[in-house]
Amino acid sequence: MLAKDLVAASSKPLVLSILAEGESYGYEILQKVRALSGGHIEWSDGMLYPVLHRLEREALIESEWKEAESGRERKYYFLSTKGKKSLAAERAQWLKVHNTLAKLWKIKPALT
Amino acid sequence: MENQTRFDLNAAVENWRQELAAQPPLAPDNRRELETHLRDALAELKARGLNDEESFWLARRRVGQPQNLGEEFGKIDLAIAWRERLFWICLAFFLSSILANVTSGLAIAVSLAGARGPMTMNWVRQSLQLFLWLISSAIPLLLVVSLAKGRLTWLFLKLRPILENQQRLAIAATAGVFLSVVIRWLGTDLFYSRMNIHNNSAIVQMINPLVYQLIAGIVLVWLLPVRPSKIAQSS
Repeated sequence: MLAKDLVAASSKPLVLSILAEGESYGYEILQKVRALSGGHIEWSDGMLYPVLHRLEREALIESEWKEAESGRERKYYFLSTKGKKSLAAERAQWLKVHNTLAKLWKIKPALT
Repeated sequence: MENQTRFDLNAAVENWRQELAAQPPLAPDNRRELETHLRDALAELKARGLNDEESFWLARRRVGQPQNLGEEFGKIDLAIAWRERLFWICLAFFLSSILANVTSGLAIAVSLAGARGPMTMNWVRQSLQLFLWLISSAIPLLLVVSLAKGRLTWLFLKLRPILENQQRLAIAATAGVFLSVVIRWLGTDLFYSRMNIHNNSAIVQMINPLVYQLIAGIVLVWLLPVRPSKIAQSS
């Protein structure tokens, strides 16, 4: 399980990246996160929506009620142009952190 | 199973809905979204072989306690909520001031039509103006309050093309301000000419409301990115 602040910090790039693959709705986004992380990132279901709404307020994503093929209506979210740019910036930052840590941690086994 | 026959899934979902509705931070659109989530979770759990009751309680737990949801939504959406409230307040103010322009212009025209001397004219005009002023403040207020509460969906759907686009709102607001100020000016001008006052004061008097209302319009447009559609999109 991930620490709380990491879950919060990673929610934005995760949601944006999932939506970069195509439009999706809350339930499906949660399932994808659960599956991709092998269950290590566990968001509580209801808390995803405030995150989505915040991103929508920042105009990074947009939403629309649509009928799924099952006939059930769902609120779909999709990435805006601004969101695409934000994702690129977010990605660059996360990669910097990742690369730094990777370098550090690769040194470690060499020392032991 | 005994439980399965006793448990009424629809009633349970209905109860849950009412619990959500009791949380003010959850707008109708939020509740509708959470309900689709609950139903997705229910469908998945039932497909796994759980009965109605088990599926419902598990799905409910997954979505979260209505009270916690309300708190979380309230926290993150606080800024939105305030901006949205400000937008509606501003819209009510803006609409009443525009309507007040029109009614004061009309009031003069109507009172002039039936009046003989300046005294009766004043009395009729003033009471009529007061009455129209009450109407012009009350109608936009009621309208905006109902819109903000998610009622009057038909009206909202008609207004939506304007309310979703800053540019369109700016054009509509400017047109509204100018049109109403012209009506007010015509009324005032008519009044002055009947009173045999010949100067430019009718035009000068229009500068104040014009500037005032254009500024209100600018604030309104500035507040718009809030997407008021969220509120009125009730199911």
